[in-house]
Amino acid sequence: MVPTIDGKLHHFTNAGLYNGLFTLYDAETHTLWNHITGEAEYGPLVGRTLGPPGNQLQMNVKQALEQDPKTEIAISDRVYFAGGKQFGTASGGIGPGRGGGGGQTPGGPNPESVMSDRFRGTLGKEDQRRPRMELGLGVWTATTRRYYPVARIREHSAAFLDRLDGRAVLIYIDPESNTPAALFVKSASAKMQEKDVLLDNGSVVRSGALLDRGGKRLAMDRPQQIFTRWYGFALTFTGGELFGQ
Amino acid sequence: MLSRFSVGIIFAAAALAQAPVMPELPKGPATPGFDISRFAPTAVGTFETFYVKETYPLKKVLDEGKVSADTRLLVFTTAAGKLALITDQMTYHHIAQGQAHNKDWMATF
Repeated sequence: MVPTIDGKLHHFTNAGLYNGLFTLYDAETHTLWNHITGEAEYGPLVGRTLGPPGNQLQMNVKQALEQDPKTEIAISDRVYFAGGKQFGTASGGIGPGRGGGGGQTPGGPNPESVMSDRFRGTLGKEDQRRPRMELGLGVWTATTRRYYPVARIREHSAAFLDRLDGRAVLIYIDPESNTPAALFVKSASAKMQEKDVLLDNGSVVRSGALLDRGGKRLAMDRPQQIFTRWYGFALTFTGGELFGQ
Repeated sequence: MLSRFSVGIIFAAAALAQAPVMPELPKGPATPGFDISRFAPTAVGTFETFYVKETYPLKKVLDEGKVSADTRLLVFTTAAGKLALITDQMTYHHIAQGQAHNKDWMATF
């Protein structure tokens, strides 16, 4: 997202919960913003957007370097663990009791998580088509909003092609990070083979990178996407499509 | 020995120090369908935004052992290229802001 409004930098914090999702709040105008779409929802800047949102993809270090060896990293003072060692000095990092709405654990979001009362009290009218806390991939364009439950992606052998606004889009669960993802491709079919997604044009998705048949890295074109729970997607994109239904 | 007055002062100061300060909210307007009565505010300072001042080559940080190959990241694109944040740190910060090539960016999690 772009935190600049009319040429002026705004400073954002997490101000609370709405629809079970954390809400952005800017110190300059006290406006509340949706953290997924970047749209102002309450306050003087309603009608404005911190856009475009841009993709924030979940992956591991190995995959990030496979995709782009020049990737940079920023590390804060908060405690984290890597290679069995503790880094950082300030408390407040991940812990077993955190994430009443998301249930984050060191291994990723917890599919068995139960929503706390504090989160539940902020929910609007829920979409009953899927279980509230189910995990999945939300994909959206200017005209399409679609949710792919992880369970349904797995029913399709964890890799398949769909159509999104007339384009072929690969929907898959990355075998290394266990994270669902979407990628525009020029292919008619896809299949998972061990840790690779094989496309019928000879290219392959390996460690999160798209490679041609000669192993050369190709540019990746991804639709806007977010790995989130059903309630988060359905309450943000009311009436959105549900894959397979 | 503390006098009764001193003890009262200490208790009052402790109460003031612990009183949560909630974010100041305007009186609208709201987008259609947004119901401010369902908003549950979080005390100011509960989460701190990560203001990024420095970045480092991920490969170098991996070689130094400060991350491991399986460390989970949140990766996005800035005007300077791909930037990674450590997912476990972002579960606390929720928001990171910075600047690359004179363009401001913000990431949320």
